[in-house]
Amino acid sequence: MDNQSCVKIINEWDIVSARQLGRNVAKELGFGTVDQARITTAISELARNIFLYAGQGQICIEKLYENGKTGLRLLSIDSGPGIKDLRQVMEDGYSTSGGLGAGLPGVKRLMDDFQIDSSPGEGTDIRAIKWLR
Amino acid sequence: MTLKYIQHNKEDIFKEWLNRLKEDSDETITNVILDQNFETYGRELVELAILKISGKKDEYERQSENFSDRIVSLGWPLRFVVNALDVLGDVVFDEMVKDKYIRPENEAKVMHDLNHWLKAMNSEIINDYTVSWERTIANQKIALQELSAPLIPVFEGITVMPLIGMIDTERAKQIMENLLQGVVKHRSEVVLIDITGVPVVDTMVAHHIIQAADAVHLVGAKCMLVGIRSEIAQTIVSLGIDLNRIITKNTMKSGVEAALEMTKRKIVPLEG
Amino acid sequence: MRIPILKLHDCLLVSIQWELDDQTALQFQEDLLKKIHDTSANGVVIDLTSIDFIDSFIAKVLGDVIEMSHLMGAKVVITGIQPAVAITLTELGIGLNNVLTALDLEKGLEKLQQELGE
Repeated sequence: MDNQSCVKIINEWDIVSARQLGRNVAKELGFGTVDQARITTAISELARNIFLYAGQGQICIEKLYENGKTGLRLLSIDSGPGIKDLRQVMEDGYSTSGGLGAGLPGVKRLMDDFQIDSSPGEGTDIRAIKWLR
Repeated sequence: MTLKYIQHNKEDIFKEWLNRLKEDSDETITNVILDQNFETYGRELVELAILKISGKKDEYERQSENFSDRIVSLGWPLRFVVNALDVLGDVVFDEMVKDKYIRPENEAKVMHDLNHWLKAMNSEIINDYTVSWERTIANQKIALQELSAPLIPVFEGITVMPLIGMIDTERAKQIMENLLQGVVKHRSEVVLIDITGVPVVDTMVAHHIIQAADAVHLVGAKCMLVGIRSEIAQTIVSLGIDLNRIITKNTMKSGVEAALEMTKRKIVPLEG
Repeated sequence: MRIPILKLHDCLLVSIQWELDDQTALQFQEDLLKKIHDTSANGVVIDLTSIDFIDSFIAKVLGDVIEMSHLMGAKVVITGIQPAVAITLTELGIGLNNVLTALDLEKGLEKLQQELGE
């Protein structure tokens, strides 16, 4: 599919490639500098979560054209341990890794639309969309 | 034929049309008619209708668009225009009956002509009206955005941003971008955000203000909130909003003085 | 690649010129603390003008570096954070409230002199 590109996240360097891919697509779609920074940061958070908690997975970036609107969709897919308490990880300041705990709730604030599905033992699937204003 | 009749009796038709509109008790309609320029515009509408039936397509289109633009800016409701055209049709028909212009053998044809004529004009006016209405809204939106958050450099290193009107999430984002880009562009050390013109400060608005202050701090400047009216101070405290991280002043005057002090300056009277 | 740390009188100057990956960030933390120790500098300016995004990891490393430098007796001023970066940071919920900031390197050095003079 032309509209979608993916990066496999296996080591720390892949986080950098995922960010770069995201920034290029965002630029190409015409997002302003602030939105580019939002998208890049969101990708970084998602990719780092995969690396830290699931070991491996992938980040996909998709161009969206819906009802005359243009957007960018981030997909973060892994088959790691999954998340036991979804409500807890969406709380500000919650962290199991000694980070700032700004990751997932932060991503939700950076993007326009945010969905998370996770079952323990099966993995986590996150979708987030940013619309071009 | 119909055209000839109408052109010939234009004055009578116009007068009768005016009278009937005046009889209408609907408030949206009487309001429009009370306007002193109504006769001029009303005549224009009737002339436009005649132009339509005469089949001068180009001229009609040009004038009709122009006319719609003007009545939109005058604030004529669309309902009035549609109703006025309806009445015009009735008047023409009634006048024709009165003058015995309509006879059993041509009644069907005249009816058909009239209907065809007004129906087409009706849909065109509605279309033009919608177009110029949409254009007005788009223009107002742009105007509102420009109005949204101007940034005014008042002294070297001191910038003021007056906020006016309701602040929603979309506007808050816009304001934040303007604010930060302006701070960096003008190399401001202190920005004063004036909220005198903000009607309500609820938790969401306060949250946006706190975020803006944090972001201003990150780019390396200080943020001061001025123009806090007593009722706003009351709501802020009763909602339990913590604005301690932000310097606040009640008026722009004391804000500017404090900002000057922060940048190691002050206003002194001239000697002599 | 390592981030160069320059010494200017009793201050250290760092200008981060390219996107930070995790390893570079951690390496920088180590290098800066070592340099503070070696030079007994009492002020550090970190300029981020060329950085176009900071995620929570980099923010945490920066926050840690600042706190660690304080423990070693050096004040840190962060300069040149871009508007887009400031907005994303606050949306992430990272305010860096206790950190000293300035518009650019020049003002950063001024601020440091003030802080150290007090």
